[in-house]
Amino acid sequence: HDLSWISKIQVNHPAVLRRAEQIQARRTVKKEWQAAWLLKAVTFIDLTTLSGDDTSSNIQRLCYKAKYPIREDLLKALNMHDKGITTAAVCVYPARVCDAVKALKAAGCNIPVASVATGFPAGQTHLKTRLEEIRLAVEDGATEIDVVINRSLVLTGQWEALYDEIRQFRKACGEAHLKTILATGELGSLTNVYKASMIAMMAGSDFIKTSTGKETVNATFPVAIVMLRAIRDFFWKTGNKIGFKPAGGIRSAKDSLAWLSLVKEELGDEWLKPELFRIGASTLLSDIERQIYHHVTGRYAAYHDLPMS
Amino acid sequence: MAATRAGPRAREIFTSLEYGPVPESHACALAWLDTQDRCLGHYVNGKWLKPEHRNSVPCQDPITGENLASCLQAQAEDVAAAVEAARMAFKSWSAHPGVVRAQHLTRLAKVIQKHQRLLWTLESLVTGRAVREVRDGDVQLAQQLLHYHAIQASTQEEALAGWEPMGVIGLILPPTFSFLEMMWRICPALAVGCTVVALVPPASPTPLLLAQLSGELGPFPGVLNVISGPASLVPILASQPGIQKVAFCGALEEGRALRRSLAGECAELGLALGTESLLLLTDTADIDSAVEGVVDAAWSDRGPGGLRLLIQESVWDEAMRRLQERMGRLRSGRGLDGAVDMGARGAAACDLVQRFVCEAQSQGAQVFQAGDVPSERPFCPPTLVSNLPPASPCAPSLVGGPWRVPWPVVVASPFRTAKEALLVANGTPRGGSASVWSERLGQALELGYGLQVGTVWINAHGLRDPSVPTGGCKESGCSWHGGPDGLYEYLRPSGTPAQLSCLSKNLNYDTFGLAVPSTLPAGPEIGPSPAPPYGLFVGGRFQAPGARSSRPIRDSSGNLHGYVAEGGAKDIRGAVEAAHQAFPGWAGQSPGARAALLWALAAALERRKSTLASRLERQGAELKAAEAEVELSARRLRAWGARVQAQGHTLQVAGLRGPVLRLREPLGVLAVVCPDEWPLLAFVSLLAPALAYGNTVVMVPSAACPLLALEVCQDMATVFPAGLANVVTGDRDHLTRCLALHQDVQAMWYFGSAQGSQFVEWASAGNLKPVWASRGCPRAWDQEAEGAGPELGLRAARTKALWLPMGD
Repeated sequence: HDLSWISKIQVNHPAVLRRAEQIQARRTVKKEWQAAWLLKAVTFIDLTTLSGDDTSSNIQRLCYKAKYPIREDLLKALNMHDKGITTAAVCVYPARVCDAVKALKAAGCNIPVASVATGFPAGQTHLKTRLEEIRLAVEDGATEIDVVINRSLVLTGQWEALYDEIRQFRKACGEAHLKTILATGELGSLTNVYKASMIAMMAGSDFIKTSTGKETVNATFPVAIVMLRAIRDFFWKTGNKIGFKPAGGIRSAKDSLAWLSLVKEELGDEWLKPELFRIGASTLLSDIERQIYHHVTGRYAAYHDLPMS
Repeated sequence: MAATRAGPRAREIFTSLEYGPVPESHACALAWLDTQDRCLGHYVNGKWLKPEHRNSVPCQDPITGENLASCLQAQAEDVAAAVEAARMAFKSWSAHPGVVRAQHLTRLAKVIQKHQRLLWTLESLVTGRAVREVRDGDVQLAQQLLHYHAIQASTQEEALAGWEPMGVIGLILPPTFSFLEMMWRICPALAVGCTVVALVPPASPTPLLLAQLSGELGPFPGVLNVISGPASLVPILASQPGIQKVAFCGALEEGRALRRSLAGECAELGLALGTESLLLLTDTADIDSAVEGVVDAAWSDRGPGGLRLLIQESVWDEAMRRLQERMGRLRSGRGLDGAVDMGARGAAACDLVQRFVCEAQSQGAQVFQAGDVPSERPFCPPTLVSNLPPASPCAPSLVGGPWRVPWPVVVASPFRTAKEALLVANGTPRGGSASVWSERLGQALELGYGLQVGTVWINAHGLRDPSVPTGGCKESGCSWHGGPDGLYEYLRPSGTPAQLSCLSKNLNYDTFGLAVPSTLPAGPEIGPSPAPPYGLFVGGRFQAPGARSSRPIRDSSGNLHGYVAEGGAKDIRGAVEAAHQAFPGWAGQSPGARAALLWALAAALERRKSTLASRLERQGAELKAAEAEVELSARRLRAWGARVQAQGHTLQVAGLRGPVLRLREPLGVLAVVCPDEWPLLAFVSLLAPALAYGNTVVMVPSAACPLLALEVCQDMATVFPAGLANVVTGDRDHLTRCLALHQDVQAMWYFGSAQGSQFVEWASAGNLKPVWASRGCPRAWDQEAEGAGPELGLRAARTKALWLPMGD
C-alpha cells in the first residue's frame, strides 16, 4: 500500500455538514418498508454493554436478548419468525468475554462475541499490554476484536507508526475479525478522519468504527460520510470491501433507519449485510422493538409490554 | 392480538432493502381548490375576481395529467382593474409608517407558518417539484424573507432616508418557477411601500393562494394582486399607466424583446434572465463534496436550471467517475413522494431536455444518464454531457447561441489552469451565479473575485438568504433581490417626479443619429487666448478625428467660441478600446490609489480655475457663479474619492458559519453622455463616481459647450493613466447611437432628450447593458442630492455576493 493515497486528500468540513443535513431529510421509509428496514437494522446491531458494573448476570440477559431481539408474536405477525433474526454480535469488555461465550452457548446459538481491547477506551497503555489484551480476548473465545487506535499518532501525523501498530493488532487477532475504532471525536478534523480510515484499512482492518461511545462526540453523520467515502475509495483502489460500524449515541429507531439509508446512498446495497455493516448500540434495540410493536398492533407499547435487555 | 396492519411484503423488502413510496397527502390542497369550486380566477383587491366570458386553462398534475382545476385567463381589462386596485392601495400603503408595513409582513409570515402544509402540498402538486424541497426549503425561506423585510420596513425612515417608494410594481414570472421567485420580489417591494400586480403564467395557483392569505389579513387588501394569464399580456401590463416598474424574470430572448418594446415607456425595467449556473472544480477541491454541489445545482429540485461544469483536467477522470456513481443513486418520482430527489417539471421541460441531448449527441458529445427514474414521459433522468465540441451550437461557451443548458442537464468541460478557467467562465454573455471548489484559499478568492457573475459560492452551491443580495450581470440582467440591493430596486430618490412616458411613436430606431449633419467653417475663432485644445481625447492624448472635420461651438452671445473635433463611429470604437485597455489596471487599483488620482485632478482644476471660469463666463455665467462651479466640481472629485474608501461590507447569515462579502465591483467601460447644461459641473459630477468605483469611461461632453470638458482633459492627460477617461466630441445623437449599440460597453448613462433616452433604452437590449436615461428631465447638478447623491454611487458599480463558508 501506498501512503501517498492520503497525502493529497482534502475534506471540506462545511460541505460535508450540509450533505449530512440533507441526507437525513431526503430519504425516509414508511409502513411495511419501515418495519422490514427496522428488522434488518436489528440484524446489524452489535448489542453492547460496556459498563464498570457488568457482571455475569446482566451479560447473560444481554445474550438472551441478542438471541431473541424481537418478541416472537410480533415476528409471526410480520411473517418473519422463520428468518432467524438475531443481533449481529454481542460486544463486551475483555474480562466478560468468558461469560458471554458461556451464555450464548447455553442459549444454543452461534452469535459471535466481540470484545473491545487495546486499552479501551483511551488506548493510552503500552503497546505490549495492548497486544496481550487482544490475545487474551481471542483465547477466551472472542471472534471479533474492537481495537482503539492511538490518537496521539494521528494528531502528531505519525501515519506510518499508526499503520505499524494496527498491523500488529491485526497479527495478534489471528483468525478473529479486527474492527478499528478511530475515536473520531478526538481526531481534530475530518481530513484526519479520512486519513486514519485509510490507514486502518490499509493495515488490514475488517471494519472501521466511528467511536468508543465514551468520547464526548460519538457517531455523527458528517464523520460517517467521510469514513464511507474512504471505504469506497479503498474499494475502488484495491477491490476490497471493508465494513463500517457506527457506534455511540444511536438510540432511536429513526436514527437507525437514517444510518441504513446513509450506507445505502454512499456505498450501495452490497454493504447492507452484517459482514460489512454493524451498529454498535445498547438501547437502540428496545426502541426498534417498540416501533415494531406499534407497526403490528397500531398501539404504542407500555414499558412493561416488552422484555428488558 | 389486535388487528394486524402488517402488509405481506415485509419479507421481500427485508431482503431487497428497497425504498418504498412515501406519499404526502395532498387532501388539503384539493380541499382548498374545492373552496374555489375548482375554478381559479384572479385575486385582486382582496377579492376573488372571476369575470365571465374568459378562456380557461386546465391546471393539471404534471405527472398524472389529472385535471385539478380550471384557471381563467385574464384579459386586458382585468389587468387594468388589478393595476387600478394597486394604485388605490399604494396611496395608503406608502403613506403609512414603515412599522405598519412591518406588522403586515410579519402577520403574513405567521399565516404562512400556520398554513404551511397547504402551501407546500399545493406547490408540489402543481409544479411537480419534490415536496421535501418545498417544505424544508422554500416555505421556510418564504417566512424568513417576510421577517427580514419586515425589519427593513420598520427601520425604513432612518435607514433609507432620502428614498421613496416607486409606486405600483408589475411583476412578471416565468412559466416554470417556484413561488419563491415571487416572494423574493414582492417582499422588498411591499416593505418599502410599493404595491404589486403579479402576472403569473396560466395554472399557477400558489401565488393566488399567497395573495389570498395576504388579502384576508384585512387592512390592506390591494397591496398584492395576482392575475393569471398568457405571455401576450406582458406588454399590456408593462405599458399600463401607473406601473412604475416592471420586474421581469424569465427567458433571455423574452427579456430582450421586452426591453425593446418598453423603450420610452413609463415603466422602468428590471430584468432577471436565464437560470443556468456554473461550477468550477479545481484539482485541490474535495471532489466528493463538489459532486454534491453539482447535485444541489442541477440534479435536485433546488436549482431552477442547468449547469456548466468546468473540471480541471488533472482530476477529470476522478470527478467523472464520482459524478456517474452519484447519479446512479439519485431518485426521481412524483413530487409528492417524500423520498425523491427530483420531481418532474412537465412535458415541455422534458422535451427541451430531449432536444438538447439529441443535438449534443449529433455533435459527437457523450451523454450519460442514470438514476432511479420512472421510465414514463414527464420524467427526465439526471444527464451529464461531456466532450461537447466547443464549436457545436449547443455548447455553453458559444456566444449568443440559441441553446441554454436545461434542467437537469450538466455540461462538463475541462480546463488546464485557474487562469484558463476564468477565461472560459467569463467568456460567455451570461453572468448569473457560480461556485468555486478549491481548498486553497488564495486560489478560491482569486477565482471568486475574478468571475463576472452576481453570486459566487466558495465550496458550496445554491445557498440563499434574505439578507444577501442575489442578482446578475451581463445578459443575466442587472436586477437584484434580497439584501439592501433588493430594496433599492423599488426605491427612487425622494422628490424625483414619477416617471412619465417619453414614448415617441414615430422615432425611427434605424435612422436615429445615423447620419451626421455636415458642418462648414464658421469663421475664425475670436476671444481670449489660449485657444481651446483641439482633438478627441482618446487613450490619454488629443487625436485628430477619423472624419477629419470639425464643428463650431458658439458662446452665449452667438459668437464663435471655438472648433471641436467631429467624432464618429471609428472614434467611438477607438475610445472604447482604449478604455478597455486601461480597465484592468484601474479596476485593480485600491480605492485609496483611485482617490489619490481624483484628488490630484481636483487640485489641477483649482489651478486652472481662472481659465475655466472665463470659459464659463463666455457661456453666460456670472463670474461668481462660474468660480463657484469650478470649486464645486473640485469638491465633487474629492468627495467621491473619499466616499469609495468605505465600500462593500460583510454580511452575517443565519445558519452559515463564515461571512458573505457584499462586494461593489466596477461595471467595466461606462459610456456617459453629459447634459447640455452645466458643461463643467455635470461632466465632473458624472466622471467622479464612475472613476471612483473603478470604471473607465467614454464621455460625450455637453454639446452646447464641450470646451470645458476638453480643458479638463488637458489635466487628465497629465494626471491619469492613458485611456482611463476618453472624451469624444461631435454630433450628440450620432455618438449616442454608436455607444448605445456598442456590445462591449458595459453600462450607459444618458442625460439628454426624450428621444435619445428612448433610443438608448431600445438599443441597450443588444447586450442588456444597464442604462440610466434622463428622459429629457433636467437635473439640478449643483444640488447635493441630484448632483452627488447616493443614486450615482449605486449606478456606478455592481454588487457581487461572495459566500465564504468556514470550518475545518
